[in-house]
Amino acid sequence: MNCGWVYEQELGDPMGDIAPGTAWEDVPEDWKCPDCGALKGEFEMVET
Amino acid sequence: MTLMPRLEDLEDKSFDPFEMEKLSTGSCPDPYPRIHELREQGPVVEGSYRSNFTDVPDVQTGHLPQAMILGYDPIMKVLTQPDLFTNREAFMPSLGRSFGNTVTVMDAPEHTHFRKIFQKAFLPQVVAKWGETVVDPVVNRLMEGFIHRGEADLIEEFTHHYPFQVIYAQVELEPEQAPVFHKLAIAQLLSSIGAPQGQEASHKLGNFFGELLRQRRANPGNDLISHLATVEADGEKLPDDVLISFLRQLMNAGGDTTFRGTSVLLTGLLTHPDQLKAVTEDRSLIPAAIDEALRWEGPVTATMRYVSRDTELEGVPLKEGTYLNVVLGSANRDPTKFERPDEFDIFRKNKVRHIAFASGPHLCIGQHLARVEMTRALNAILDRLPNLRLDPDKPAPNIVGHLLRYPHHLWVRFGPS
Repeated sequence: MNCGWVYEQELGDPMGDIAPGTAWEDVPEDWKCPDCGALKGEFEMVET
Repeated sequence: MTLMPRLEDLEDKSFDPFEMEKLSTGSCPDPYPRIHELREQGPVVEGSYRSNFTDVPDVQTGHLPQAMILGYDPIMKVLTQPDLFTNREAFMPSLGRSFGNTVTVMDAPEHTHFRKIFQKAFLPQVVAKWGETVVDPVVNRLMEGFIHRGEADLIEEFTHHYPFQVIYAQVELEPEQAPVFHKLAIAQLLSSIGAPQGQEASHKLGNFFGELLRQRRANPGNDLISHLATVEADGEKLPDDVLISFLRQLMNAGGDTTFRGTSVLLTGLLTHPDQLKAVTEDRSLIPAAIDEALRWEGPVTATMRYVSRDTELEGVPLKEGTYLNVVLGSANRDPTKFERPDEFDIFRKNKVRHIAFASGPHLCIGQHLARVEMTRALNAILDRLPNLRLDPDKPAPNIVGHLLRYPHHLWVRFGPS
């Protein structure tokens, strides 16, 4: 919600060591938004 | 039909803020050789970024202790530690004076609270809808002005207008008020070089937006102002002073940067015809082209932060009270992160993201809208201006400025050779 960056399972976050295909549940709790640095716990699920 | 308050022009109607603004952003043809030299001196170099490129005094922060932060990793450390490197003190003498209590001059917890409310209006799924309804009509209307000629100056006739006209459309500003609106929005920034018209413009825009908010609250429509005037988070509406400050900043944060970013994108492609051809034939390359343009010639080469307590960065001590000039351009051209950093190459494989929109909690709130606007503008140009090329009879484009960079002209031809 802080910056609008959306985690998409298909893409993952390779620059943040999250491989494409990684489910949101398997993203570590200490992973941070690559844009604004928000923690995983600050993300909200949105419908696409 | 909605009501619209009247904007009051500057008292001195002959005052030209656009020329004054060029003075403050400079005409430096290429600051990057100097930026590379500075970065090689270390992650922290004493002095202000601006003083490397211009003798025009900074009357608001020029007398304060300053240091430049250079290189990708040191800059990321500064931008992602907002408790240590703060915004309020850093921007209060400049943007705070021009705009008021905007989110840029806030720190947590105030910033976290208000940013969350504003962000709702600028989420990707929200701004995507504006592409078709707001951006496309503006883009197409502007192109009608030159498409029959087979030649144009894409800066003077297109990029310098379209992001601002997107904002006019979002606030439903009447066309006859647009020139004064644009003039006041640019004049606001001139407080930083001591021009009295800066405060006058801030005051007059504030009066206008205050009245507009009252009208839209009483009679809300589907425009951005109505949305912001009525949006709530945890049952709370945005207070007027925060909203008016945000709206004052909108033209500069949302118009000026997108105008410059689009100008640089078109310049990068037109001066690299092979890459222009690739994008023309494969539009899936547009996001990479936009990101490369923003990395290569980010419209804002430096931002500010304030050292809130004695600390160190990469082993270099930093004293409380130092104003940090965070040279974003040095991060985006850091050779340890980007191979051949001075080259425009939309096919580059990056190991890290560029930080043209900054990073951390103050990351550009309008980045998703900027991407929508740039994508729509580029697609329209590629669709409607076939065989687009630089005009061989006019000077080549020249990106200038040390702080806010763009080419003043981009003369092109299109249609049959």
